[in-house]
Amino acid sequence: MEEGRVYLGNLDVAAKRARDILLGKIKLEKVVDWANAFSLWPVHLTTSCCSTEFAATFGPRFDGEQFGALPWVGPRQTNLIVIEGTVTRKMACAVRVTWEQMPHPKFAIAMGACALDGGLFYNSYNVVRPWEVIPIDIYIPGCPPRPESVARAIVELQRRIRSRRVASSWIREGWRPDRDYVAPKEDYCSWQRTSSPVPL
Amino acid sequence: MVEARERAEGVVGPRRYEEVLKAARSRAEEALRAVGVSFSIEEGKGFVDLVVDVDSVVRAAEALKAAGFDHVVSVTAVDYPKRKQIKVAYHVTSYLDPEIAGGIVGLAVYLPRASPEMPSLTSVWVSAEFMEREVYEFFGVHFRGHPDLRPLLLVPELAEKHPLRKDFVVREESIYEGVPERVRRG
Repeated sequence: MEEGRVYLGNLDVAAKRARDILLGKIKLEKVVDWANAFSLWPVHLTTSCCSTEFAATFGPRFDGEQFGALPWVGPRQTNLIVIEGTVTRKMACAVRVTWEQMPHPKFAIAMGACALDGGLFYNSYNVVRPWEVIPIDIYIPGCPPRPESVARAIVELQRRIRSRRVASSWIREGWRPDRDYVAPKEDYCSWQRTSSPVPL
Repeated sequence: MVEARERAEGVVGPRRYEEVLKAARSRAEEALRAVGVSFSIEEGKGFVDLVVDVDSVVRAAEALKAAGFDHVVSVTAVDYPKRKQIKVAYHVTSYLDPEIAGGIVGLAVYLPRASPEMPSLTSVWVSAEFMEREVYEFFGVHFRGHPDLRPLLLVPELAEKHPLRKDFVVREESIYEGVPERVRRG
Protein backbone atom coordinates (compact mmCIF):
# COMPACT_ATOMS: atom_id res chain seq x y z
CA MET A 1 0.00 0.00 0.00
CA GLU A 2 1.21 3.49 -0.77
CA GLU A 3 1.88 5.82 2.10
CA GLY A 4 -1.25 7.52 3.32
CA ARG A 5 -3.42 6.29 0.50
CA VAL A 6 -7.11 6.21 1.19
CA TYR A 7 -9.13 3.45 -0.32
CA LEU A 8 -12.80 3.13 0.17
CA GLY A 9 -14.94 0.04 0.05
CA ASN A 10 -12.54 -2.18 -1.83
CA LEU A 11 -13.28 -5.55 -0.31
CA ASP A 12 -10.39 -7.43 -1.92
CA VAL A 13 -7.80 -4.98 -0.66
CA ALA A 14 -9.36 -4.87 2.78
CA ALA A 15 -9.42 -8.67 3.03
CA LYS A 16 -5.80 -8.91 1.94
CA ARG A 17 -4.87 -6.34 4.51
CA ALA A 18 -6.80 -8.05 7.27
CA ARG A 19 -4.95 -11.26 6.47
CA ASP A 20 -1.61 -9.46 6.70
CA ILE A 21 -2.58 -7.98 10.05
CA LEU A 22 -3.57 -11.34 11.46
CA LEU A 23 -0.38 -12.94 10.21
CA GLY A 24 1.69 -10.20 11.84
CA LYS A 25 3.13 -8.86 8.58
CA ILE A 26 1.91 -5.34 9.38
CA LYS A 27 2.99 -3.50 12.51
CA LEU A 28 0.30 -2.95 15.09
CA GLU A 29 0.91 0.81 15.00
CA LYS A 30 -0.20 0.92 11.40
CA VAL A 31 -3.32 -0.98 12.29
CA VAL A 32 -4.12 1.52 15.01
CA ASP A 33 -3.72 4.43 12.61
CA TRP A 34 -5.75 2.61 9.99
CA ALA A 35 -8.55 1.89 12.42
CA ASN A 36 -8.59 5.44 13.75
CA ALA A 37 -8.62 6.96 10.29
CA PHE A 38 -11.70 5.04 9.26
CA SER A 39 -13.67 5.55 12.43
CA LEU A 40 -13.67 9.31 12.81
CA TRP A 41 -16.94 9.84 14.58
CA PRO A 42 -17.76 13.54 14.93
CA VAL A 43 -19.61 14.63 18.04
CA HIS A 44 -22.78 16.60 17.53
CA LEU A 45 -21.83 20.02 18.86
CA THR A 46 -23.47 22.89 17.00
CA THR A 47 -21.75 26.13 17.79
CA SER A 48 -23.16 28.10 14.90
CA CYS A 49 -24.77 28.14 11.48
CA CYS A 50 -22.21 26.01 9.60
CA SER A 51 -23.96 23.05 11.16
CA THR A 52 -26.52 23.07 8.35
CA GLU A 53 -23.77 22.30 5.86
CA PHE A 54 -22.34 19.79 8.27
CA ALA A 55 -25.72 18.07 8.45
CA ALA A 56 -25.94 18.07 4.67
CA THR A 57 -22.55 16.36 4.51
CA PHE A 58 -23.98 13.36 6.29
CA GLY A 59 -27.29 13.45 4.47
CA PRO A 60 -28.11 11.03 1.66
CA ARG A 61 -26.88 13.23 -1.15
CA PHE A 62 -23.28 13.73 -0.02
CA ASP A 63 -23.14 10.66 2.23
CA GLY A 64 -20.28 11.42 4.57
CA GLU A 65 -20.64 8.00 6.12
CA GLN A 66 -18.80 6.51 3.17
CA PHE A 67 -15.61 7.81 4.81
CA GLY A 68 -16.35 5.96 8.02
CA ALA A 69 -17.46 9.12 9.79
CA LEU A 70 -20.69 8.73 11.67
CA PRO A 71 -22.09 11.71 13.60
CA TRP A 72 -22.78 10.59 17.12
CA VAL A 73 -24.59 12.12 20.03
CA GLY A 74 -22.28 11.82 23.00
CA PRO A 75 -18.68 12.96 23.37
CA ARG A 76 -17.71 9.77 25.21
CA GLN A 77 -18.11 7.67 22.09
CA THR A 78 -16.57 10.06 19.56
CA ASN A 79 -13.07 11.04 18.51
CA LEU A 80 -13.62 13.94 16.14
CA ILE A 81 -14.99 17.39 16.92
CA VAL A 82 -16.00 19.74 14.14
CA ILE A 83 -16.22 23.38 15.23
CA GLU A 84 -19.19 24.45 13.16
CA GLY A 85 -18.76 28.19 12.82
CA THR A 86 -18.51 31.06 15.27
CA VAL A 87 -17.49 30.30 18.82
CA THR A 88 -18.74 32.82 21.37
CA ARG A 89 -17.24 33.14 24.82
CA LYS A 90 -19.87 31.09 26.54
CA MET A 91 -19.85 28.47 23.81
CA ALA A 92 -16.07 28.19 24.09
CA CYS A 93 -16.56 26.60 27.49
CA ALA A 94 -18.95 24.05 26.00
CA VAL A 95 -16.44 23.30 23.25
CA ARG A 96 -13.66 22.83 25.77
CA VAL A 97 -15.74 20.62 28.07
CA THR A 98 -16.85 18.48 25.14
CA TRP A 99 -13.26 18.20 23.97
CA GLU A 100 -12.09 17.08 27.38
CA GLN A 101 -14.81 14.48 27.63
CA MET A 102 -13.74 12.80 24.41
CA PRO A 103 -11.33 9.87 24.74
CA HIS A 104 -7.97 10.24 23.02
CA PRO A 105 -6.71 10.01 20.31
CA LYS A 106 -9.06 12.76 19.21
CA PHE A 107 -9.00 15.23 16.36
CA ALA A 108 -10.55 18.58 15.58
CA ILE A 109 -11.66 20.32 12.41
CA ALA A 110 -12.43 24.04 12.40
CA MET A 111 -15.12 24.81 9.88
CA GLY A 112 -15.96 28.15 8.31
CA ALA A 113 -14.44 31.62 8.17
CA CYS A 114 -15.51 32.48 11.71
CA ALA A 115 -13.61 29.51 13.08
CA LEU A 116 -10.46 30.62 11.28
CA ASP A 117 -10.12 34.26 12.33
CA GLY A 118 -13.55 35.53 13.29
CA GLY A 119 -14.81 35.99 9.74
CA LEU A 120 -17.93 38.10 9.70
CA PHE A 121 -17.53 38.82 13.40
CA TYR A 122 -13.95 39.96 13.19
CA ASN A 123 -13.05 42.47 15.90
CA SER A 124 -15.99 41.41 17.98
CA TYR A 125 -15.93 41.52 21.77
CA ASN A 126 -17.64 38.18 22.19
CA VAL A 127 -15.92 35.89 19.68
CA VAL A 128 -12.97 33.63 20.43
CA ARG A 129 -10.84 31.74 17.96
CA PRO A 130 -11.30 27.99 18.32
CA TRP A 131 -7.57 27.33 18.09
CA GLU A 132 -7.25 29.12 21.42
CA VAL A 133 -9.75 26.74 22.96
CA ILE A 134 -8.80 23.34 21.59
CA PRO A 135 -5.99 22.14 19.27
CA ILE A 136 -7.17 22.11 15.64
CA ASP A 137 -5.93 19.71 13.00
CA ILE A 138 -7.66 20.84 9.82
CA TYR A 139 -9.15 24.20 8.85
CA ILE A 140 -11.91 24.55 6.25
CA PRO A 141 -12.34 28.03 4.73
CA GLY A 142 -15.66 29.21 3.38
CA CYS A 143 -18.78 30.97 4.60
CA PRO A 144 -20.22 28.40 4.89
CA PRO A 145 -18.07 25.65 3.38
CA ARG A 146 -19.77 23.30 0.97
CA PRO A 147 -20.41 19.72 2.08
CA GLU A 148 -17.71 18.63 -0.36
CA SER A 149 -15.24 20.70 1.64
CA VAL A 150 -16.20 18.93 4.83
CA ALA A 151 -15.81 15.57 3.14
CA ARG A 152 -12.44 16.69 1.78
CA ALA A 153 -11.37 17.73 5.27
CA ILE A 154 -12.27 14.32 6.65
CA VAL A 155 -10.33 12.59 3.88
CA GLU A 156 -7.40 14.93 4.46
CA LEU A 157 -7.48 14.17 8.17
CA GLN A 158 -7.49 10.44 7.39
CA ARG A 159 -4.49 10.90 5.15
CA ARG A 160 -2.68 12.87 7.81
CA ILE A 161 -3.42 10.36 10.55
CA ARG A 162 -2.09 7.50 8.44
CA SER A 163 0.92 9.22 6.92
CA ARG A 164 2.15 10.88 10.13
CA ARG A 165 1.16 8.05 12.49
CA VAL A 166 -0.72 10.54 14.63
CA ALA A 167 -3.03 8.17 16.47
CA SER A 168 -0.51 5.45 17.32
CA SER A 169 2.15 7.88 18.54
CA TRP A 170 -0.46 9.67 20.59
CA ILE A 171 -1.45 6.42 22.27
CA ARG A 172 2.19 5.48 22.85
CA GLU A 173 3.26 8.84 24.30
CA GLY A 174 0.04 9.82 25.99
CA TRP A 175 -0.15 13.33 24.51
CA ARG A 176 0.76 15.03 21.28
CA PRO A 177 3.66 17.36 22.01
CA ASP A 178 2.64 19.98 19.46
CA ARG A 179 -0.77 20.42 21.03
CA ASP A 180 0.05 22.21 24.25
CA TYR A 181 -0.48 25.86 23.36
CA VAL A 182 -4.19 26.13 24.11
CA ALA A 183 -5.30 28.35 26.98
CA PRO A 184 -6.27 26.81 30.33
CA LYS A 185 -9.86 25.81 30.83
CA GLU A 186 -10.37 28.45 33.52
CA ASP A 187 -10.12 31.19 30.90
CA TYR A 188 -13.30 30.02 29.27
CA CYS A 189 -15.29 28.39 32.04
CA SER A 190 -14.73 30.68 35.04
CA TRP A 191 -18.01 32.53 34.38
CA GLN A 192 -19.96 29.45 35.41
CA ARG A 193 -19.16 30.05 39.04
CA THR A 194 -20.96 33.39 39.17
CA SER A 195 -24.68 32.79 39.15
CA SER A 196 -25.89 35.71 41.24
CA PRO A 197 -27.13 38.90 39.54
CA VAL A 198 -24.40 41.28 38.52
CA PRO A 199 -24.76 44.70 40.19
CA LEU A 200 -25.18 47.63 37.85
CA MET B 1 -65.56 40.22 11.44
CA VAL B 2 -66.51 37.80 8.67
CA GLU B 3 -64.24 39.66 6.36
CA ALA B 4 -61.46 39.51 8.93
CA ARG B 5 -61.85 35.78 9.26
CA GLU B 6 -61.76 35.34 5.50
CA ARG B 7 -58.62 37.37 5.37
CA ALA B 8 -57.06 35.34 8.13
CA GLU B 9 -57.89 32.15 6.26
CA GLY B 10 -56.39 33.49 3.11
CA VAL B 11 -59.68 33.81 1.22
CA VAL B 12 -59.27 37.48 0.45
CA GLY B 13 -55.50 37.39 0.38
CA PRO B 14 -52.90 39.10 2.49
CA ARG B 15 -53.31 42.75 3.27
CA ARG B 16 -50.53 45.18 2.64
CA TYR B 17 -48.36 45.85 5.68
CA GLU B 18 -49.28 49.53 5.72
CA GLU B 19 -52.94 48.63 6.24
CA VAL B 20 -52.16 46.25 9.08
CA LEU B 21 -49.87 48.76 10.72
CA LYS B 22 -52.50 51.46 10.44
CA ALA B 23 -55.11 49.24 12.08
CA ALA B 24 -52.73 48.20 14.83
CA ARG B 25 -51.67 51.77 15.44
CA SER B 26 -55.17 53.14 15.72
CA ARG B 27 -56.07 50.26 18.05
CA ALA B 28 -53.08 51.01 20.27
CA GLU B 29 -53.76 54.74 20.34
CA GLU B 30 -57.39 54.17 21.30
CA ALA B 31 -56.33 51.78 24.06
CA LEU B 32 -53.88 54.28 25.56
CA ARG B 33 -56.37 57.15 25.35
CA ALA B 34 -59.02 55.03 27.04
CA VAL B 35 -56.88 54.60 30.15
CA GLY B 36 -55.72 58.22 30.08
CA VAL B 37 -52.04 57.62 29.38
CA SER B 38 -50.43 60.54 27.61
CA PHE B 39 -48.08 59.60 24.81
CA SER B 40 -46.19 61.05 21.90
CA ILE B 41 -45.59 59.37 18.58
CA GLU B 42 -42.34 58.69 16.78
CA GLU B 43 -42.78 57.21 13.36
CA GLY B 44 -40.83 56.41 10.25
CA LYS B 45 -41.25 54.22 7.24
CA GLY B 46 -42.80 51.00 8.44
CA PHE B 47 -42.63 51.58 12.16
CA VAL B 48 -44.43 53.55 14.82
CA ASP B 49 -43.38 54.03 18.43
CA LEU B 50 -45.74 55.26 21.12
CA VAL B 51 -43.51 57.01 23.64
CA VAL B 52 -44.93 57.06 27.16
CA ASP B 53 -43.68 58.19 30.53
CA VAL B 54 -41.78 55.77 32.79
CA ASP B 55 -44.39 56.03 35.53
CA SER B 56 -47.25 55.06 33.23
CA VAL B 57 -45.54 52.34 31.20
CA VAL B 58 -47.09 49.46 33.12
CA ARG B 59 -50.58 50.91 32.77
CA ALA B 60 -49.95 51.45 29.06
CA ALA B 61 -48.73 47.87 28.66
CA GLU B 62 -51.77 46.49 30.44
CA ALA B 63 -54.03 48.57 28.22
CA LEU B 64 -52.29 47.29 25.09
CA LYS B 65 -52.54 43.72 26.32
CA ALA B 66 -56.25 44.17 26.97
CA ALA B 67 -56.65 45.66 23.49
CA GLY B 68 -55.36 42.50 21.85
CA PHE B 69 -51.59 42.94 21.65
CA ASP B 70 -50.80 39.59 23.21
CA HIS B 71 -47.05 39.16 22.82
CA VAL B 72 -43.76 41.00 22.57
CA VAL B 73 -41.78 40.50 19.39
CA SER B 74 -38.65 42.21 20.59
CA VAL B 75 -37.36 44.40 23.34
CA THR B 76 -34.55 46.64 22.27
CA ALA B 77 -32.81 49.82 23.31
CA VAL B 78 -31.11 52.75 21.63
CA ASP B 79 -28.31 54.70 23.26
CA TYR B 80 -28.25 58.49 22.81
CA PRO B 81 -25.06 59.68 24.53
CA LYS B 82 -25.45 63.35 23.53
CA ARG B 83 -28.99 63.57 24.85
CA LYS B 84 -27.92 61.43 27.84
CA GLN B 85 -30.87 59.14 27.25
CA ILE B 86 -31.56 55.50 26.55
CA LYS B 87 -34.71 54.60 24.69
CA VAL B 88 -36.18 51.19 25.47
CA ALA B 89 -38.75 49.95 22.98
CA TYR B 90 -41.12 46.99 23.32
CA HIS B 91 -42.41 45.86 19.94
CA VAL B 92 -45.79 44.25 20.42
CA THR B 93 -48.22 42.54 18.08
CA SER B 94 -50.93 39.91 18.14
CA TYR B 95 -51.27 36.27 17.28
CA LEU B 96 -54.97 35.88 17.88
CA ASP B 97 -56.62 39.04 16.60
CA PRO B 98 -56.64 38.88 12.78
CA GLU B 99 -57.32 42.63 12.48
CA ILE B 100 -53.95 43.59 13.93
CA ALA B 101 -51.95 40.36 13.60
CA GLY B 102 -48.60 41.18 12.07
CA GLY B 103 -48.84 44.90 12.69
CA ILE B 104 -46.00 45.76 15.03
CA VAL B 105 -46.39 48.73 17.34
CA GLY B 106 -43.60 49.96 19.59
CA LEU B 107 -44.12 51.00 23.19
CA ALA B 108 -41.12 53.15 24.02
CA VAL B 109 -39.72 54.77 27.13
CA TYR B 110 -36.90 57.31 27.50
CA LEU B 111 -34.67 56.71 30.48
CA PRO B 112 -31.81 58.78 31.93
CA ARG B 113 -28.54 57.36 30.71
CA ALA B 114 -26.77 57.67 34.05
CA SER B 115 -29.18 55.39 35.92
CA PRO B 116 -31.54 53.65 33.49
CA GLU B 117 -34.21 51.95 35.52
CA MET B 118 -37.78 51.03 34.68
CA PRO B 119 -40.45 48.58 35.84
CA SER B 120 -40.29 45.20 34.20
CA LEU B 121 -43.14 44.35 31.85
CA THR B 122 -42.67 40.62 32.38
CA SER B 123 -45.78 40.57 34.53
CA VAL B 124 -47.78 41.81 31.55
CA TRP B 125 -46.06 39.98 28.69
CA VAL B 126 -44.25 36.80 29.71
CA SER B 127 -42.36 36.70 26.44
CA ALA B 128 -40.46 39.85 27.42
CA GLU B 129 -38.45 38.05 30.08
CA PHE B 130 -35.40 36.91 28.13
CA MET B 131 -35.34 40.01 25.97
CA GLU B 132 -35.27 42.19 29.05
CA ARG B 133 -32.31 40.19 30.26
CA GLU B 134 -30.63 40.85 26.95
CA VAL B 135 -31.26 44.60 27.19
CA TYR B 136 -30.01 44.47 30.76
CA GLU B 137 -26.66 43.01 29.80
CA PHE B 138 -26.11 44.93 26.57
CA PHE B 139 -27.31 48.38 27.74
CA GLY B 140 -27.34 48.18 31.52
CA VAL B 141 -31.02 48.97 31.85
CA HIS B 142 -32.26 47.74 35.20
CA PHE B 143 -35.76 46.24 35.19
CA ARG B 144 -37.48 46.46 38.55
CA GLY B 145 -39.48 43.37 39.44
CA HIS B 146 -37.91 41.11 36.86
CA PRO B 147 -37.99 37.52 38.16
CA ASP B 148 -34.47 36.52 37.07
CA LEU B 149 -32.29 39.44 36.06
CA ARG B 150 -29.00 37.80 35.10
CA PRO B 151 -26.82 38.16 32.01
CA LEU B 152 -28.16 35.93 29.27
CA LEU B 153 -25.72 35.72 26.40
CA LEU B 154 -22.54 37.35 27.65
CA VAL B 155 -20.07 36.29 30.29
CA PRO B 156 -20.48 38.39 33.46
CA GLU B 157 -17.23 40.36 33.05
CA LEU B 158 -18.34 41.46 29.60
CA ALA B 159 -21.91 42.16 30.67
CA GLU B 160 -20.68 44.69 33.21
CA LYS B 161 -19.23 46.77 30.37
CA HIS B 162 -22.56 46.91 28.47
CA PRO B 163 -21.09 46.39 24.98
CA LEU B 164 -23.87 47.91 22.88
CA ARG B 165 -23.61 51.32 24.51
CA LYS B 166 -22.00 53.89 22.26
CA ASP B 167 -19.07 54.55 24.58
CA PHE B 168 -17.97 50.90 24.58
CA VAL B 169 -14.78 50.76 22.56
CA VAL B 170 -14.12 47.60 20.58
CA ARG B 171 -10.47 46.71 20.59
CA GLU B 172 -9.15 46.75 17.03
CA GLU B 173 -7.17 43.63 16.27
CA SER B 174 -4.48 43.15 13.71
CA ILE B 175 -4.71 40.08 11.55
CA TYR B 176 -1.99 38.07 13.24
CA GLU B 177 -2.53 39.26 16.79
CA GLY B 178 -2.15 36.46 19.28
CA VAL B 179 -1.64 33.82 16.63
CA PRO B 180 0.93 31.22 17.67
CA GLU B 181 4.00 30.99 15.50
CA ARG B 182 3.25 27.55 14.16
CA VAL B 183 -0.27 28.58 13.13
CA ARG B 184 1.11 31.69 11.43
CA ARG B 185 3.51 29.59 9.40
CA GLY B 186 0.60 27.39 8.37
